[in-house]
Amino acid sequence: MAVVQAILDGLMIGGVYAVISIGLTLVFGVMGIVNFAQAEFLMLGMFVAYYAWAWLGLDPLLAAPLAFAVVFVLGAALQHLLIRRVLKAPEVAQIFLTVGLLIVMENAALLMFGSGFKSVSTPYQTASLQLGPLFVSVPYLAAFLMSVASGLVLWLFMKLSWFGKAMRATAQDPMAAKLLGINSDRMHMLAFALGVGLTAFGGAVILPYLTASPTVGGQFVVLMFTVVVLGGLGSVAGAVVGGFAVGIIQSLSGLAFPIQLQNLVLFVVFIGVLAFRPKGLLGAAR
Amino acid sequence: MSRLSPMRLILIAVLLAAAIALPFAFDPRGYAIRILCLALLFGAMAQAWNIVAGLANQVSLGHAAFFGIGAYTSTLLLIHFGISPWLGMIAGAVLGGLAALLISLPTMRLRGHYFALATLAFGEVMRVIANSWGGLTGGPVGISVPFAPSSLAMLQFKETRPYYWLMLAALIAVTAIFVAIRKSRLGYRLRAIKENVDAAEVIGIDTTRTKIIAAVLSGGLTACLGTLYAQFQYFFDPDTVFGVGSISVRVAMIAIVGGIGTAIGPILGAFFVIPLEEFANQIFSAQAAGLSQLVFGVLLVVVILVEPRGFVAMGQRLARRFRREDRS
Repeated sequence: MAVVQAILDGLMIGGVYAVISIGLTLVFGVMGIVNFAQAEFLMLGMFVAYYAWAWLGLDPLLAAPLAFAVVFVLGAALQHLLIRRVLKAPEVAQIFLTVGLLIVMENAALLMFGSGFKSVSTPYQTASLQLGPLFVSVPYLAAFLMSVASGLVLWLFMKLSWFGKAMRATAQDPMAAKLLGINSDRMHMLAFALGVGLTAFGGAVILPYLTASPTVGGQFVVLMFTVVVLGGLGSVAGAVVGGFAVGIIQSLSGLAFPIQLQNLVLFVVFIGVLAFRPKGLLGAAR
Repeated sequence: MSRLSPMRLILIAVLLAAAIALPFAFDPRGYAIRILCLALLFGAMAQAWNIVAGLANQVSLGHAAFFGIGAYTSTLLLIHFGISPWLGMIAGAVLGGLAALLISLPTMRLRGHYFALATLAFGEVMRVIANSWGGLTGGPVGISVPFAPSSLAMLQFKETRPYYWLMLAALIAVTAIFVAIRKSRLGYRLRAIKENVDAAEVIGIDTTRTKIIAAVLSGGLTACLGTLYAQFQYFFDPDTVFGVGSISVRVAMIAIVGGIGTAIGPILGAFFVIPLEEFANQIFSAQAAGLSQLVFGVLLVVVILVEPRGFVAMGQRLARRFRREDRS
């Protein structure tokens, strides 16, 4: 039964992992940039939600769209000011621009928010539902449902709206998209803003069960990369599968190993996937 | 590669003499000379990183793995068996080279972003292992180098000056190795790989073997420098020697700021970045934690945006502009 419970817990956190990682894979898919600073936007989302709770009394789940909006605007600005300039630069420049951004964001947060840990208290924080012999923690369930909802909205947006279609076209064939009159610069801006916004949204919904701190991003960097690499960098559907897989791997390895070694299992999976299936477990399907 | 002209040789000799004499200008127990030591050490590390990243364009974000292996190997051998750090350094280099081989085998086909990601994860694996395997490493609380009387044999000195000369020798040695590799067959193969892996393969270069040789050399050298660091600092913990920010990214950044792929770049970068960082720490740390790191990050972003090939390329650009003005 412990195994079933662990799988259930894994699915719950996996849903959140999927949403925060969709942002990362979206940026890579459309722009070909691996954003090493992506997890810092999760940290920002957590802080937006925290201050919305502390100052306005807003529940983090309700503040999630606000976190999305704030980080969306910031993302658009960063894309325009910084990322745009290295799109055609050598990979070394691309890697270290986002690494530099990571250092800047983490330390700017340290200056602005202080180094302390900040957490919210909500009425449902310790509540859990019983399903026969299994338990579902309410904050996990809420975060899961919010993640699924935002994932569905993104999917509908990509599938149905003109912008979504134009963005997918840019990802598939930038030249052809340009010939059809799609402004690729604007698509890149939209993709980056959406990507980091979505990650911030994920940051806000996990705040009820995780504490925010300027260095929280560090816990998620390799995790997010494991998710997207498992599913294939650039593939949104892959990120969903990868998110659930990582959630389940993490909670199952929790049964066997102490907490520090759970991450080790993830790292090993990560290196293994990179080595043997660098295009992801689902193959090259985009 | 042009041959060294007499003028250049004289210049190098003068610089070398100045570098050897430099510590006499500083208080031997002061803070400034320690910063110089760290700048020399980090310059050497950036140079070792340069062998894989600069010559073959395989950008590693995990060099802390080799550095930490070097620091822990010599220190543990010294603590448990009283073995001289010189022998510990050799053992560390062997283990560092083996670790480089181990991570190279599965990742050698990876390029660009994928290689950076895999090496990043490898560094983190080593950090997590060092933190969790407390029985061996002492865990997160860190480990101290046992005190020994001042001697070259035990690589411990009461004064800072001998460390300075050691680190200077290390920087010169690693730079000489870098230059020798660049001029060798291996160097040409690496550059062919940098330009176009598939084309290199077609003209008959065993790209996997070439990359692995470079990675093992780079990893082994980095491990040697880890031993020097341990003997210099007397105390360290897993998050410092295996850290992404403290080692892997910093080393890469030094090479990039100075000029990736050039022999002088990592040296320029180290003597710019390390003193700047210490200086920023001194003026800002009282007011706000994080400000000096912020400066660090902004610097990296600015250099990448202005000239991703670093100071060396900026200098060349300036020189070209002056020459043009002379002619007109």
